[in-house]
Formats: sequence, structure tokens, C-alpha cells
Amino acid sequence: MSEATIPTINFRERAIELLPEGASFEACLTCGLCSSGCPASGLANMDPRKFIRMAMLGMDEELSTTPWVWLCTQCKRCQHVCPMNIDISQLVFYARGNWPDEKKPSGIVRSCQLARSTDSTSAMGLPPQDFVFVVEDVLGEVREQQPAFAELQAPMDKEGAYFFVNQNSREPMSEPDEMVPLWKIFHLVGADWTYSSTGWAAENFCMFSGDEAAWYEVVKKRVDAVNKLGCAVWLNTECGHSYYTMWHGIQRFGLEANFRLENLVSCYARWIREGKLPVNADWNRDGIRFTVQDPCQIIRKAYGDALAEDMRFVVRKLVGDENFIDMQPNRSANYCCGGGGGFLQAGMTDQRRLYGRRKFDQIQATGAAYVLTPCHNCHSQMEDIGHHYGGNYRVIHFWTLICLSLGILGENERTYLGPDLAGIGL
Amino acid sequence: MMATLPPRSGPTRPTASLETEVLIIGGGATGAGIMRDLALRGIHSLLIDKKDLCAGASGGNHGLLHSGGRYVFSDPQSAIECREEGHILKRVLPQCIEQTGGLFVAVDGDDEGFAADFAGLCAAAGIACTPLLPAEARELEPALSERVVAAYQVPDATIDPFRLALENVNQARLVNGSIYRPHTEVVAFEKSGDVIVSALCRDNRSGETVRIVAQQFVNAGGAWAMDIARLAGCDDVRLLYSKGTLLVTHDRMIRRVINRLRPPADGDILVPGGTVSILGTTSLRTDALNAVQPTVDEINRNIREGMAMVPALAHARYIRAFSRVRPLLQAGGGADDRQATRGFALIDHHSQGIANLCTITGGKLTTYRLMAEKTADLVAARIGNTAPCRTAVDIVPDGEACRWTEPGAAPKLWYRAGDPDDTILCECEMVPQSAIDQIVRCAPGAEAEMTLEAIALRSRAGKGPCQGSFCGIRIASHLYDRGYYRDRTGLLHMRDFFNERFKGQRAVIWGQQMAQMELAEALHCGLLGLDCLDSPSETVTEGEAQS
Amino acid sequence: MIREERQFTVDLAVIGSGLAGFAASIFAINRGIRTAQIGNTGAVAYTTGYLDLFGRLAADQLLDDPWRGLRQLAASQPQHPLARVTEAEVRAAFDEFVAFLTEAGVPYGQAGERNVMALTPAGTIKPTLCVPSTMQGGVDALAARARCLIVDFRGLRGFSARQVVANLRQEWPQLRAEQLVFPGMEHGELYPEVMARSLEVPACREELAARIRDVLGDADVVGLPAILGMHHPHLVMAEMERLIGRPLFEIPTMPPAVPGIRLREMFEQVFPTRGLTLIPQQKVDAVRFADEAVRLSLADSYGPIAISAQTVILATGRFLSGGLLASFDGISEPLIGLPVTQPPSREGWFREQYMDKEGHPVHTAGIVTDADFRPLSAEGGPYDRRLFAAGLILAHQDWIRGRCGAGIALASAFRAVDAVGRELARSGGQSGKHQSAEGRRDV
Repeated sequence: MSEATIPTINFRERAIELLPEGASFEACLTCGLCSSGCPASGLANMDPRKFIRMAMLGMDEELSTTPWVWLCTQCKRCQHVCPMNIDISQLVFYARGNWPDEKKPSGIVRSCQLARSTDSTSAMGLPPQDFVFVVEDVLGEVREQQPAFAELQAPMDKEGAYFFVNQNSREPMSEPDEMVPLWKIFHLVGADWTYSSTGWAAENFCMFSGDEAAWYEVVKKRVDAVNKLGCAVWLNTECGHSYYTMWHGIQRFGLEANFRLENLVSCYARWIREGKLPVNADWNRDGIRFTVQDPCQIIRKAYGDALAEDMRFVVRKLVGDENFIDMQPNRSANYCCGGGGGFLQAGMTDQRRLYGRRKFDQIQATGAAYVLTPCHNCHSQMEDIGHHYGGNYRVIHFWTLICLSLGILGENERTYLGPDLAGIGL
Repeated sequence: MMATLPPRSGPTRPTASLETEVLIIGGGATGAGIMRDLALRGIHSLLIDKKDLCAGASGGNHGLLHSGGRYVFSDPQSAIECREEGHILKRVLPQCIEQTGGLFVAVDGDDEGFAADFAGLCAAAGIACTPLLPAEARELEPALSERVVAAYQVPDATIDPFRLALENVNQARLVNGSIYRPHTEVVAFEKSGDVIVSALCRDNRSGETVRIVAQQFVNAGGAWAMDIARLAGCDDVRLLYSKGTLLVTHDRMIRRVINRLRPPADGDILVPGGTVSILGTTSLRTDALNAVQPTVDEINRNIREGMAMVPALAHARYIRAFSRVRPLLQAGGGADDRQATRGFALIDHHSQGIANLCTITGGKLTTYRLMAEKTADLVAARIGNTAPCRTAVDIVPDGEACRWTEPGAAPKLWYRAGDPDDTILCECEMVPQSAIDQIVRCAPGAEAEMTLEAIALRSRAGKGPCQGSFCGIRIASHLYDRGYYRDRTGLLHMRDFFNERFKGQRAVIWGQQMAQMELAEALHCGLLGLDCLDSPSETVTEGEAQS
Repeated sequence: MIREERQFTVDLAVIGSGLAGFAASIFAINRGIRTAQIGNTGAVAYTTGYLDLFGRLAADQLLDDPWRGLRQLAASQPQHPLARVTEAEVRAAFDEFVAFLTEAGVPYGQAGERNVMALTPAGTIKPTLCVPSTMQGGVDALAARARCLIVDFRGLRGFSARQVVANLRQEWPQLRAEQLVFPGMEHGELYPEVMARSLEVPACREELAARIRDVLGDADVVGLPAILGMHHPHLVMAEMERLIGRPLFEIPTMPPAVPGIRLREMFEQVFPTRGLTLIPQQKVDAVRFADEAVRLSLADSYGPIAISAQTVILATGRFLSGGLLASFDGISEPLIGLPVTQPPSREGWFREQYMDKEGHPVHTAGIVTDADFRPLSAEGGPYDRRLFAAGLILAHQDWIRGRCGAGIALASAFRAVDAVGRELARSGGQSGKHQSAEGRRDV
């Protein structure tokens, strides 16, 4: 542990500066709805209301140093339920940025450093040439082994393609076969898409480290890559924070982006509605129950309920209306799972699991066998708390189930399916 | 010497008798200071107040420990006393004081000649005074107006009068078992010749009458001193009453005390009070001593004037306003009460044919210790005690249950302790249950069933933006849960507490506070029905009838 | 970055998401009116769950018979919103509202002829008209003076079983208190919301039931703070009753409490499935009365939203919900700028005593309307034919002291939706001329 000290922030003044008039800390009615609805309440003996009150009481030293800022995932549920619309997460972001790098959770810092270490912007440090190699390698294998997909494409750096598709590093790094279902979906709907050898990665932990300059740097690299290829749409993979860091970053930093941002879920929904993805629930003969997790970063913090509705539309089509059950609460009011905000990378396992207890209870209350979510952090966290608390559900990507439903899910693409589904369509 | 009080009924005939060397009447800063001073001289005293500590002007002021700058024009003697007393108090009572420093600022349009004389007059009174450029002043205090044209820095500080009284009482209690008894009001003196033998007092909670026998009697009744003296047949205490109204902002807007550099007028001092700021004051001659309330007009005047120094006061969230009556000695004939002497008077009542009563009144919070010293000198001499005064030398120890009045102290201690089971009862000021438990166990004035008001007086509970509307409920529940409240009186305590807090809110309810108030009233009246506590049984009977 | 505006075209836009707004939406849905509802959190999150019609006519007169009270009100305060609707409308409004809640998974008892006497967390008793079915047991137990156990939980602040017992013991001798530790929440501060969600998990119910059984003693019925599940609470309660073997009931808690969150989350779940466009947790920024439609604009975190409506019901509540704004100089209606009737100066807003039996004049400030609850302009005529107001924003009522918040909300929403229907019929709004539509446009 280094000897660096954490400078003291004047939180009251920062709140006045950063938050809109009438929705700043002094507007708080101390009603407690924020703390009541926050999964991080009680961790480190803190909660959102205490954060506000400590700021107003001048407890700057305590707030500047409380580890709670790393236990709050900045999911903004507190703001969502606040009658005064007070945004505490902005101050949490600010407080995180105030910690010297040596004191911040090293996993988050390292992920940010790695993202800046190559033109890939990959938080796992996968350089462009390796990404290109893995994609080509996997593509070759699929073409060879799955005759139906002998013509499968995974275009790289294709100028003027409609979709610029990003990729979470986890797949090329450690489970490359997981890239294939999405390629198949693109293939099936005839999407004009491309990967890019630079700025291709999805994840961006620089935002979670509170490092504004690094966040900017990573987003800038990605925006440049999209602009350079002249794509119409930056299509975000099944990943929550990657969307938010890009979408919010472009606005925050006033970047010139000559393209639109889209989320895979809305594309799935559109393609299903247009008949391009003829999914059905016929495979679900045993009435296996599914629920869905709304990632904070794309639902509450960005698109709102419209995307949540798209997500439910897709799931119902995939699993059958009667086999879908919502968690409560849901959509914009959903609880963060505790995987976001860099929590998974931060190494504070016990607290992360305590945080995740509410998500676990939510899932248990549905009795579902599977949780679908278009977010890698949600995915990992829900798997982990499931194991830890003794749940018997599994977590899967949308692309897996779409391809399963279409009967085109390859043998190596079934990592996350349980035995009840592993054999279907083989 | 320690007396215990058998709880019995009996309307006028004394049901209990207490004995002490000195009975001090009036639990303001001065009374508490006298109690400490006497104890340090080895003299036992009993301090009583018809309400509780700091119920009068001691609790209704800015909490400003004057450097003296305020008085250099009108009353140089007071200015010097303030300077000297300020030095002493910073040394002996550091736990009650925040050495904020202060600024005197003149704004565009203020009398520049007045401002120009300030530094010289301060120098004459020995008060450190540094001239600042307006830009320098704004650098120190970003909230200051662009219109500031002259500024001086002086060693003003802030003082917590509640903690001050508690600590004084606590030390006296520790030193020689002197006793403080709240809600005890003198109703008559029993005399024998030129000597008062005892005071008949009413316990304002139980209605019982208590006889208190003492050798010496001290009238430290503040604004009520004239009335108390008259009970003893003395008409040589002549006071004028000046009503002042002050406002409390939701949060602390400034670091230092900000004084307007002009002849004293409305809204010319803004004082940081820990986590809030206090703006005041207006000054209005009054005859009414009790039930003085802030008026909308006084609020408006304070804000309009204060805005000239600190523009943000125009849109600040105010959480409270309070009025207090200041006793002024009837001496000169100035039209403005602010010009009247802020000095104090010690009256020995010899001329009235009474040998063992004295009255101390007038003065100001900053000089309370000096007032106590002069009074104790007289009392000690009358008793024949020759011990010297030690209050300027002896440090006041931190009293165990005295620290909870300090803004921000409770949450700091709570945070450091890190005990999740020590739940927060007052969320605004973050007062944990451990603080409440300690107060009801052993704070000065703690008794068998303290009211929520008495608990709040000894802590920050109810002082934040919700003004007790939530914590009143939580604290009452906690005390029921502890078995401290056992019957319907707990509900009455709750209602009385909300009523009392409302008095301080009534004139500042707009903006955010209106939303807060609506929520509070919906909770207190709409749900809990505290507005109908007198008649709920009929309802139940009616309900029974249908079932 | 290229962004888009989302556009909605509807017959009715309900602004506000308190009881009046939700009631207006329910009545509109049931009448086939294409509706969008927009509103931020709102005071509904603070409700106890009790639906008051009318509990107190004047100082010291708590009402056993609210209907008789309404008749008296019509004579004494003819401008009161509840005096401007018929008894039949009030009954219909309660019946329709309660039926909807019941069907949607938060069952309520029906409005009866008399007020019921319901328990409060302070151990006082409150007259109200309808209570959630999970709270009915408390009304019955009190009436029967049953052998009853009240349970509270360590760490749950503001709710003390001992307090409830201490304050009711005199009239209800067979009342007893016990404190338990909630399963899985052994330390720290508890929130009813968290406990309620936890009780949706079967394992938690079993554990809590076991703990309650241990302290049951001779109790015939058990009262708990309102924590019995967030969704379908009656099912959670039934399951708990089965496990414990005794009937249970809930007592409301101080905010932030479960009953209000229950209602809000239920509405947010159910409305979209009934074809209503619900934009929760957002505030309308501007309302413009164009010739062809009323145009509402707002923005959520994603971007701008435009709503084009044939009619509007303003149900934005009072000060707490932002429907009225009390400023240094007076009270205003901030969204549209409607005139607000109010005391002549701030000095007259509040009486000297908080608990003054007469209540505070500021609470009777508000919007003045015509008989169909169309707000009036300063000139005295309707501000716009297409604009209606419902709920607590209405003038000439004191919902707090009158114990009549829900009554005003439901009855005025009922009448206003009825008038909306007539207005739409007159303008042909429901004839299909204006298709309910949703669109997007780049901005």
C-alpha cells in the first residue's frame, strides 16, 4: 500500500457546481427513498442519504476517503426514485477520480491502463493484430466445420459498412466461439457490418476509475475509428457500460460523431418484427422459465423503458409468453446487480456479493431457470452470486438463445446452457 | 446536601423541599456561568429555569463570539470587554468555539466615512484588524457580493451557547454536586426581615410546588429579571425589551462571520453556525416577553438587507427563524435599541431592603463569563467565601453528554465508531441512537422522562432541513422501544415537539421548505392524527358501534 | 451525435403520477381513451395505502359516516371539490379504482357506508374508507379487541411494537409486543422496502414464520409493519398465514413505506399492458395549446419526447409534488401558469399553532375550476376547453386536516375523465381521426 493520501473534496461546493439548481444536495427532503431503494445501503455503514447529509454537514474528509464510493455502482437508482431528482452518482464519480491511482482498486485502474495501452482500447490489452487473428481464425473454423455457414463473414475495417460493431474483449480473449452466434445473426438478416481493427473493444473502465481524461481518450479513439470507416451506426454489443460510456462520453466531451448509436437489443427486436429473424419458442416444450435483467447502463441510465420493452418483446418471442417472468422491480426501476461500476474488477468480493444479495433474491423470487441479459458485467455477477448463494439458475446471452431458437447454434457455442438445453437443435 | 425529589401531588402546598447555598434563577449562559464560578469557589448552588437551558436570549442569538469590532463605534468599553473575554473563552472553552475569523464589509452605497474610521477605532480598542482589498475579501469568502467596496478582517469567532451552558452546568455538577433543575419557576419568595429565606417554585411539568431554601439568591433571569425582582419586592431593575429575529439557512454559506460595516441595522450579520448560517437581526421594541414569534416582515427585511453582503441569501433555503427578547438596561434615551448600552448591570438590591438577593442582567453572550465572575464575587463576599474566581483560568472539561449539540460532531463520532447497529435516528443531522441514549441517561438536566424538546436541546436532533418531522417519530419510537416512554405521554411529547419546531419554521416556509412542511403535516396530522389527540376515543366508540 | 425525438399522439395526456393521475389513467383506460401519463416520482410513494374519503369535517369532528359528512360539506363548503361531485360519482370512482387495484394485484376492501378505524404506527387510530386487504385484519382485530401480538424488528426505525401497545393498551388490553430479528438482516438499519422484497423469496418467508411462531404465545392474530411483499402482497400474506397458522395484518410505517411503492410499481407494471403510454419519473417541461392539439414537451436522459394530445388532465399535486410552487412572493402553478387562488400574503399562509384545529390557509390555495374541473383563467372562463385539473392541486380544500386526499383525487379524476370523454366526442377525437401513434424523428 502506497503512502499517497486522498485529497479532501468540498462536496457541498462540488454538488452546487455539478448538479442543476433545485436538484442539488440542498434540495433533499431526507425522506429516505434513495437509501430504501439502494442495494449499496448498509455497505461500509453508508447509504445515499448519508452521503448527501455528510456532504451538507461538511464531512468532507470522511466522504473523500470512504471506500463506499467503490461500492456504489453509480447505477442512479437513487436519482430515479428521488422526488427531487438528485443525482448522487455524479459526486461518487468525482470522489472516485479524486483518489490517487495507487489507492484506487487496482483491478479497475489496470483495466483502464490496458485499454489505453493499445489502439484496440481493449481493457484486456488485446492488441489489434491479435484481435484480427482471432476473428480470422474462428471464422475459418466455422466455415470449415459448419457447412451451413460456409459463407459466413466477419468483415474487418470495411469502409462504408452500415454497422460498426464493437466487441467485448472477453470473447476474443477467452471464449472466442461466443463471437460466432452474433456473426450468424448478422449473416441471417443480411446486415452490412464490420469490425474495426482499432477502437473495436467495448469495455471502458476508465469511467469507473473516475479518470475523466482517460475516459475521454478511449471514447475519442473509438469515435475516430467509426468516423474513419464512415459507418452510419455504432452498434453496441451485448454490454451495458460500453454503451453508456460511449453515449454519455460523446455528449460530455462534445465529440463530433457522424453516426448514430444503436443497441443490439433494439436491432434484434426490429429484425424479429421485420421477419428477418424468424425466432419462435417451439423448442421450449418443457416450459423452461426465463427472466430478464435490465442493465442499468442501457435502460435506466440511457434508453429508458423503450429499450426494456424491446428486450421483453425479444424474450417473449424466444421463450414463449407464458414462460417469461419479470423480476420485480424491473425496467428503469430495476436493481443494479452489483457487477457494474467496476465492482467485478475491484476485488471487493464480499461486499460485491452482499450488494448482489438483492439481485439474487429477485431472481429467486421469479423461480426462473435462466436469466437473459445483454450485459457482460451483469452476466458475470449474476453467475457469481448464483454460485455463492446456492441458486440454481443460469445466465445466458441473447445471441445464444436466438441461435438456439433458430436451430443454428453450434456445438461449441453452448457454454452457458444447462443440461436441459445443451442438446436442443444439435 | 444532595436532595432527592419524592414525586407526589399537591397543588400549592410544597411537596418537596430543597436546600442549597445559592439559588440561581435563570438557566441562560449567565446563570450557568455563575453556577460554575461558584462551584469552583467551593460554593454549592442550585440552578433553576422555568423552561430549560438557554430558553431566552442565550439560545436565541447568532452564536457570535464578538471580536469587539461590532462595538467600536457605539460602545468602546464593550468592545474592549469582548476582546478580553474572547481571548479567555477561546482558551478555557475551546470545545464550544470555532475560530472562524470574521470580516467587516461595506458595500456600494454604505457610508464610506464610517468604514474609513473602523481600523482606527479597532486599534484604539486593541482589536486586531487587517484591511483587505475587496477582491481579497471575495477570495476568502466567494459568497460575498461584487458590490463590496471595503473589507477588514477581525478575530470574530462562533460559539455554541447550548454547549456552553451544558458544559458550565456539567463542570459545576462534577466539582461539588451543584444541581440543575429544569422547568422550575419561582412563584414567590419567603422573606424574614431583610433576608429571603426560601423561594417557592412551581414544577411546570408536574404542577407541584417546591420550596428551595438558600442563603443567597441570584436573579439571572435575563429578560425576565425585572419580573423576578418584583416578586421579591424590588423595583430597581428597569429593563427595556428588544425583539430580534434571526434566520437559519439550510447549509453553511460562508466560512467566516460576515458583518456589515455600517451603523447597526437589520440583516447585517451573517454567522456560520457549524453546518448552517445564521442571518440577523432585526430589532424591535416590545413589551411582550413571552411567545414572541418571527413575523414575515422581519424575515423579509433580514433577507433583503443580508443580500447586499451575500447575494445568495436571496435564493437560499431557510429552515428556521427564531425571535428572542434581549434585555436592555434602561439608561440613556437613544431611539435605536442597538445604540443602547450592551453593558451589563449587577444590582445588589440593598436599596430595596434585601440583603441576600442580587440581579445580573443586560450584557451579551460574549461577556457571560465576566458577568458571572462579578456576580459570584458579590455572592461569595456575602457568604464570606474568599476563594478567588478561577473561571478565566481553569479549563472546562469535555462533559460526557454535552458534545451532542455541536453540529457535525455526532456523525463524526458515529462514522469513526463504525457500528452498524447504532442506527441513525435523526437523519438530517445524523444523530445516532447512542447519543440519544446517553443524553437521557446522563446529560445535565436529564430526568426520569425527558421531553423530546429537552432531548433536542441537548443534541442536534431536529435542527436539520426536516426540522424534526421525521426524527421526532423515530426518537419517540426508540424511547418507547427502550421502555423509557411507557404510555400516551410519549405521543404528547411528540406532538409538543412538532408544535415547538413549527414555531421556528412558520415564517420561513416557502420553496423547498413548503414541500417539506406538506410532507410533515401529512405525516403528523393526516396519518398519525396528532392534531386530534384530544378526542380519539369518541372515534373508537363510533367505530365500535358499527362493528 | 445524431439523436432522435420520440413522438406520441394521444387523446388524453395525464400529467402527474400521484393518486389523481393514476386514477385518471385508470378511468381513461376503462373508457377506451388513448392515454399517455407522464409524471415524476410524486407523493404516491409516501402514501400509507389507506384511501381516505372524508374523515374530519371540522375541528374535533372525526367522521364515522363520510357520506353524511359529504352532505354536510355541500352545505358548509360548496366550493370544496368533494362538494362539487355527486355521491354517485364518488361511489363509482372508489368502486372502479378499487376494482382496478384488486385486479392488478393489490387487493383492497370495498368502500362501505362507514369509515373504518385503522391503526397507525404511533398506536393512534385513523378513520378511513378503504384499506388494502393486508391491513383489514388490523381493523377487525381492533374492533374485536382480539388477543393480538404486534411484532417489530430490530433496526427498523420509527416502528415500535411497544409504542403501539403502550398507546392502545387501555382500550385494547389483550395486545402484546415482541421484537424479532429479521432473517438475513441481523445488523444495521432496515428498510421496509428491502424486507418486503425479501419476503417474496419462499425461504425468507419460512424463516420469518418460524421466528414469529416462536413468540406467538396465545395470540389469535399478529400485526406486523407493512412488509408483506411488494407484489401480490395478499399472496405473500396468505402464505405467511399458512406457515404461522394465525391471521396476520399489516400496519403502515412512516416513509419511505411499502404501500406507496407497491402502488407505484404496480401501476408501472400494469399500465403498459393496458395500452397506456406511461413515461414514469419524468416531468413535463412545457405545455403549448396549439389549435390542432395540445403539445407537451419533455426530455428523459435519452433525449426529447413530444406528446400531442387532444385533452390534458393536470394532476400535478401540490407543493411536495411540484404542482404548486410557493415562493417568497406568492404561490404559482409553474407548468402552465394558471392563476392560483391563495391568501393575500405569506403572513396568512400558516396559523400560529401547528396543530391549530382549523388547519392552515395555505392548504386551501390552488386552482379554481368550472363544474367539469376545467381550470379557470384570470378572466373567469375556462383557460382552455381541453384542459382539466384533478387532485390536490384543486383549491378550497384541506386534504390533510380533512382526511380526504384520496377522495378528492378519485372523485375529481372521475368527473374530469367524464368531461374529457365528452370533449373528445364533441371534437371527434375518438372517431379515429387522430390515430394513436408513436414515431421518431432525428433532431
